[in-house]
Parts: sequence; structure tokens; C-alpha cells
Amino acid sequence: MKDIAQYALQAMKKAGADKASVQAGQDRVEEFNVEANKFTLLRTLFNDTLSLKVLKDGKKGTTSINKLDKESIDKAVEDCVALALQGEADPAEDIAPLATNKDFDQTIGGFDAAKLFSRSKEYLEQVKDEFPLVMTEGMTAKFTAGNRTYANSNGVEFNNKSEYYEVGSTFQANEGEKTSSFNYYYHNLANLDTPIIDMGMKRTLLDEAVRSLNPRMFDGKHVGKVIVTPACADMLWYTLFGCFLDDFSMIQGTSRWKDELGKKVVSDKLTMRTSPLNPLIVGGERFTSDGFESADNDIIKNGVLSSFALSLYAANKTGKPRALNTGYSLEVLPGDMALADMLKGVDKGILINRFSGASPGPSGDVSGVVKNSFLIENGKVSDALVETMVSFNIVDALNNIVGISKETNADGFSVLPWVCLDGITMSGAK
Amino acid sequence: MLQDLLSIHKPNFKDYTELRAQVNTSQQVTLLTGNMTANNQSATGGVAARVYKGGTFGFASAAAYNADSVANVVKAATDNAVFMDTHVKKGLEPLPSYPGNRVDLQTPHFGAVDQLLLIDAAKQLDELVQKQCPNLSSRTIVSNVLNMEKLLVVSDGADMRFFQPRAMMYLIMTAETKDGDQVELFKALGGFGRFDEQFGDVSKYLDEVNALYEHLMAKREGIFADPGMKKCVLHPDLAGMLAHEAIGHTVEADLVLGGSVAGPNLNKQVASEIVNMTDFAHTAFGETCPLPVYVDDEGVTAEDAVLIENGILKGYMHNRDSARQFGVKPQGNARAFAFNDEPLIRMRNTVILPGKDKLEDMIASVDDGYYLIKTGNGQADATGEFMFGVDLSYEIKGGKIGKAIRETTISGVAFDMLKTVDMISDDMVWEVSGFCGKKQPMTCSMGGPALRCDMTIGGR
Repeated sequence: MKDIAQYALQAMKKAGADKASVQAGQDRVEEFNVEANKFTLLRTLFNDTLSLKVLKDGKKGTTSINKLDKESIDKAVEDCVALALQGEADPAEDIAPLATNKDFDQTIGGFDAAKLFSRSKEYLEQVKDEFPLVMTEGMTAKFTAGNRTYANSNGVEFNNKSEYYEVGSTFQANEGEKTSSFNYYYHNLANLDTPIIDMGMKRTLLDEAVRSLNPRMFDGKHVGKVIVTPACADMLWYTLFGCFLDDFSMIQGTSRWKDELGKKVVSDKLTMRTSPLNPLIVGGERFTSDGFESADNDIIKNGVLSSFALSLYAANKTGKPRALNTGYSLEVLPGDMALADMLKGVDKGILINRFSGASPGPSGDVSGVVKNSFLIENGKVSDALVETMVSFNIVDALNNIVGISKETNADGFSVLPWVCLDGITMSGAK
Repeated sequence: MLQDLLSIHKPNFKDYTELRAQVNTSQQVTLLTGNMTANNQSATGGVAARVYKGGTFGFASAAAYNADSVANVVKAATDNAVFMDTHVKKGLEPLPSYPGNRVDLQTPHFGAVDQLLLIDAAKQLDELVQKQCPNLSSRTIVSNVLNMEKLLVVSDGADMRFFQPRAMMYLIMTAETKDGDQVELFKALGGFGRFDEQFGDVSKYLDEVNALYEHLMAKREGIFADPGMKKCVLHPDLAGMLAHEAIGHTVEADLVLGGSVAGPNLNKQVASEIVNMTDFAHTAFGETCPLPVYVDDEGVTAEDAVLIENGILKGYMHNRDSARQFGVKPQGNARAFAFNDEPLIRMRNTVILPGKDKLEDMIASVDDGYYLIKTGNGQADATGEFMFGVDLSYEIKGGKIGKAIRETTISGVAFDMLKTVDMISDDMVWEVSGFCGKKQPMTCSMGGPALRCDMTIGGR
């Protein structure tokens, strides 16, 4: 892969690029598929990728293809240089400077087809035995082996060989004409030592699917506490990135945190990082697409905004520091409250496992329907909810953190605790 | 254009086999408040085979497209089918036969357009916005082309050569409210066809730009919705999304087999009697649909799928395997997005059919409710419970349009909500800008007339 990357790099320089970078990769995917509780398909994919970036007179062109033969690379280089010549000069465009080149090895010993099949089969049988009302609507159990190289004209070169398993399913419970909301759970794995049903929150969510067959609507309107579980990461954490932290909101200037670096923006109980090097993250990023070695990055530390999630381009554009990784591998540090105590502190509220909401605008106003979620009454989890909405402003909510659990859930993508928030508006649909 | 390296293998197919070569090419230019943040071309292609044996499939794909790689993927897919048959042991009969006639290029093939066209169009639209729309806090213009070319050979069915071009421009405007919040609106322009034909003269979109800006200025002064169950008029844009998300997905046969609420409701009343809904294959109302499908990726000749007729749920959308399980004929809904994707049951051109009412009469008939115009996103559940984010809406007071509403959501249970539909406008609008997500992305078109119904609104 290094040879292919260097060939493309030299070709871009020869074609007139002032600066250039290339990412070349090959991966193989083996994937078992299940539909409606039954195996349906085995897929084998041989994927190639080549992404080129040319800077010419400050103008950028980018091209991506999925071929690695010389003829295709030559054509892609030609196209990429032509795009750059047609582009607009922007002094913020750049590539990473030379640092220490490295090779990374995240392999795990290769693909064990028989083990992945038997673990998948075992899972379906265990669900059938323990949760006979649960239907696995879809499931994929896959293995990916990849080899990827980044190189640029400043002399940077990184290579990463990686292997990992990923198991995910979508499921719901059915009884007669009753259907629960679907739910899903995905897990990245470095080995197949643990039965799938025992991974992370899987068994809990299967049990909750069955308990959701007889839901009721939230009574009236109430402003109070909710507990957001690790299964509902998108409602809070990824919303922060989209509204306030990423390239788009910062270059647009719509982020309300654009001038808040180093200032307290949320409750001091919250520390949020992106941690690709955390051992609980499987196959974490080792180098960024703009050519830097990845490192863990504090976004919010004890409530203070420590970093945005900016690429090199956005950092140059906004004059703010570049993030130390691309922003995956989310980690929220645990707090000092036991989950059981957190529940006891809620007189009337909701345990939120999934959220179906509108993409929040730049204001951070969030509203939508809670799914696979349960009423909390007098400190105890009670009935499943249906047609129940919550609404809040995400900054206000994160300034009203009641507590963060000691317990965390690691799914190979992220490491997250349970979080109790106050001041959330809850309402039944009617 | 893709060279045919596939047909030579057809005589050797033993079990049911699909062999598909495909290239998706895309071009994109993004201007983020005048800064060109994307200037990109990509091409992703290769060859894939899928083989059926005893009730399960084997699939394999390779990025390289040459004689060796084609032979290799056929072998690998066959090996995978044997592995599954041996290990899963379903022991089912071969799939039913659906012979068909080869279909060649209903749309003429063309290559990538000059990137300068995308750049110039983006700049022109950006200039138009700057000129017409003062006091914006930001603006984003995207020029986008996605062309999909496929060559399909199947052991049993219709072989095809297929080309589907889509050219879009996206416009996002943001403005600051007096209390310092940001409000945003989005407009998609374009659809099926060549970029240069649709955006050679961007000034023809002046009315759309002005209308979006007027809505944004109204939204800047907007209020938050009063939450609860309300009488609503849904603009055709939103009704199309409703047809797709809240109803369409629940009647995809794989989701029905997976336990969706549509399973127990076949041939039952699921909507008021004035509601009719069809997933059109390629032609609707005497015209070619926005994303026509003539043969699907299982080689099934595409036909319209009638989903709801006079309020009765009449059928589901199928692939070959689900059609076998339900004992019906597939109608061409098996589609794959990329060369290395297996065909899944997907919607094509899904529409709630127009009724007899006039939109202005529908609005005038609402004493206290909302006119819901534009949705940013939406999701639906196996239960039929749905949620849409609503970016653009107005209150209706005394039969007249009132103040704009800030971001809100609507939700409900599809079959309950459809039973409250009591007026349907006599016009309709197609929407073709986005991607449907279901393991793979997919281009789909959707459409509908305006609907009057009861809907749950979210507030603050």
C-alpha cells in the first residue's frame, strides 16, 4: 500500500501540485446477515480506496476512486490537478507538516469464520430461549481487515493494518398484533470470547423490548428530570458536535460557542473527550485524514470548553486550534453517582434509551419522541412509554446535570455513562 | 460506459444468480459563506455476484472490473452460498421463475460534466443570494451530481443496462434572531437529469431564492408551537415524506416479516377512504417518474405496487424471496445502491395520490391549527410511530396563515393519523433530493398532495 501511495504522490507532484496528499487502502469484509431471526446471506467484499488532494496556487482539488491500478491512478491524478486549477485559492488549505512517521498494527489474528458463525447462531438461539417474543429484524456479524496508508508531499507517511469484528442487530418484540418500537445495538470487538448476548447493554435492551409491548403515554406536561442511557448517545453528545463544535458550525460562524474556548460552557460535572487510543475503543483512529497522528482530545473538561472538533482547514480558517483527532471514539468520563441512586432521585421522569428527533438547529433546541423509554416514578422504572415527547435546549440541559453515573458502557465505539438532566419538558401526545 | 464482461458467464449459472457491474460517479462543489470547502469528484465501481442456494444467498464483490475479477466474484459468491446452505440447512426449493425481456438504457448515458459548470452554478447562486438576501448570518451552496450506471445479468429474469443521473443544488440560509439564536432554512433544487440542463441558468431559480428568504425572515420573528394534538394542513413536500417514512417503510415486506405493524393489517382499513398510495415503478400520471426503475437488481420487470386503495392496505413491496414467502409476484423493488451492496427491498417513487380539494380551501377550513411546509428529517418505527422535524411552518388562525413557527416536530402513529385525513388537495409535488437510509443509502423519490389531518405538534 505504501508503494501505491508513494506512486500517486510522486505523480501528483510531477503533474504540478505544489502540495499533495494521498490515502490508499484495501480492505476485505466478511459479513453474515440475518433477517427475521434467520440467516439469509454471507457477503465477501474486496474493497479498494484511493483519495487524492492537490493544492496548486492555494487552490484545492480532491478526487476519490476505488481502483489501485496504475492507469486508474494516473487518470485520477490528472483529474485532481484539473480540479485544483479550476478551484478557488484559499490560504486556509494546507497539509500536515512532517512529524514522526509511523506504522501501526491493530490486527487481531485474522478471520475466524466458524467462530463468528457459531457466535451468531448461539445469539439467535439464546434470544429465542430467553426472549421468545423478540424478533431479530436484521443482524450483521462482520469482520473487516484493512491496510491503509497516508502520505503527503511534506514527507509524512503513516500506515495502519487493522482487523476487527462488528456485530449489530435491530430488534423488537411482537405478541399477537402488538409490536414494540424497534431498537438497535452495535458493538465493535477485538475478539469473539464473549457471547453476543452478553455484550454491553444488549441483554438489557432485549428485556426492555419485551417490557415495551404494553406502553402508555406520558400523562400531561411535566418539567423535570430524565436519565439518558449510553444507548442514546446521539441525543446529547453527537448533537453538541453538530451544533457547536464541528467544521461546519464554526466556519459558518453559527456556533454559539465560537468565542467560548477556555470558558465554562456546561456543568462542571461534565468531561467529554474523543479517545481513539482508549483501550476500550476497538480499531480507533491512528492518523487523521489531513495527516496528523491521532491523539486523545479533551473537548470539555470539568465544564470548560477545551477544544473544538476542527480539521486542519477549519482550524486555519477560524484561527482556533486543530482537534487532535477526527472526532470519533467518544468518551464521557464517569461521575460519582451510582445508577441506582440516580434513579432514586427521580420522582417523575423518563429513562431515555433512544430518541427520534429533528436535527437541532444552531440554537441547540432539541425536540422529539422518546423511544424504547420508560417512565420513572418515585425512584423506580415503571411503564414503557409511547407517543411521548421531550424538548429542551442542549446547553441549558447540560448546565442542569444532576449527576453522572459511576457505571459506564463500552461498545467498542464509545465509552459512556448514564446522565441525569433536570429542566426537561416531557409531554404526552394528546 | 460499462463494457459487458458479464453475459459470457450466464450460460454457466446453475443456481439463481445475479451478476452486476456498477459505477456511481459523483461531483460536488460546496461554497460555505463564499469559501469553496469542497471541490471533489469520485467514482466507485466494480462487480458483484449473488447466488441463491437452498434458502440463503452468497454474495461477493470486487472493486476491479475485468475478466478475472468477474470470474472470481462468481466463484466466491457461489462458495458463500454453499457455506450458508451447508451450515444453515434451510432446504428450501429454488426461487420461483420470473422470466423477463432485456431492457437497455431508457435514459441515454453520459459521462462526468465539466466541474466548472458546478463551480459556476454555485458562484452564480451564491451571488444571487447575496444580492437578494441581506442580513444572513451564513449561506451554504452545494452543487451535486450523482450518476448511477448498472449492467445486470441474471440467470432468470430481465437483464438490463441502466443509467440514472441526478443533478441537485442545495441552498441553506441562516439568520440571527433578535435574541441571538440562529434559525435556518434549506431548499433543494433540481432532480433527475443533467446538471448543465438544470443549472445552466441559475437565475431561473430567483423565485425559489426569494421565497426561501421570505420564509426565513418570517421564521426569524417566529414563535414556538403550542404543543399537543392539532388540526394541521400538510404541504405536499411534507406529505411525500410522510408517505415514504411513516407508511412506506412499514409495508416493505422484509420489515413486515421482521414484525412491523403492517403485518396484521393487510386488507384492513388503515386510512380514511379518500387515501390512496402507490409506489410507482417508472411512470405516473402519464409522465416519467423522477427516478424511474424499469428492471430491478434481481432482474424483475418493474410494475407499480399499490399499497393503499380507498383506505385499505392492499399489499407490500417485495423482493423475490419475500414474494415467495407471501405467495405473491415481486414488482421490482429490489435495489442496491453501490456495486458492493446486495439488493434490498426499497421504495422507488412513492406517492399519496391527489384528491379533489383546493389547498386554499383546506387552509381556510382550519380555525386553530398549523400549516406544516417543510421537514428536515424524519424517522418511523416498526409500530408505525413516526417523527418528523419541521423546519418551516406557520400557525393557522381563523382560516388564515399567521405567524411562522420556530423548529418543531410532528409525531403520531401512521395508521391512526391516516384515518384522520379528511381533505386532500388536487395537486401534488415530487421530492427527489435526499437519500433513504436502510443499511445502504438509496435515491428515492416521493410525492404527495396537501393533506388535512390531526397531528401531534411538539413545543418548547
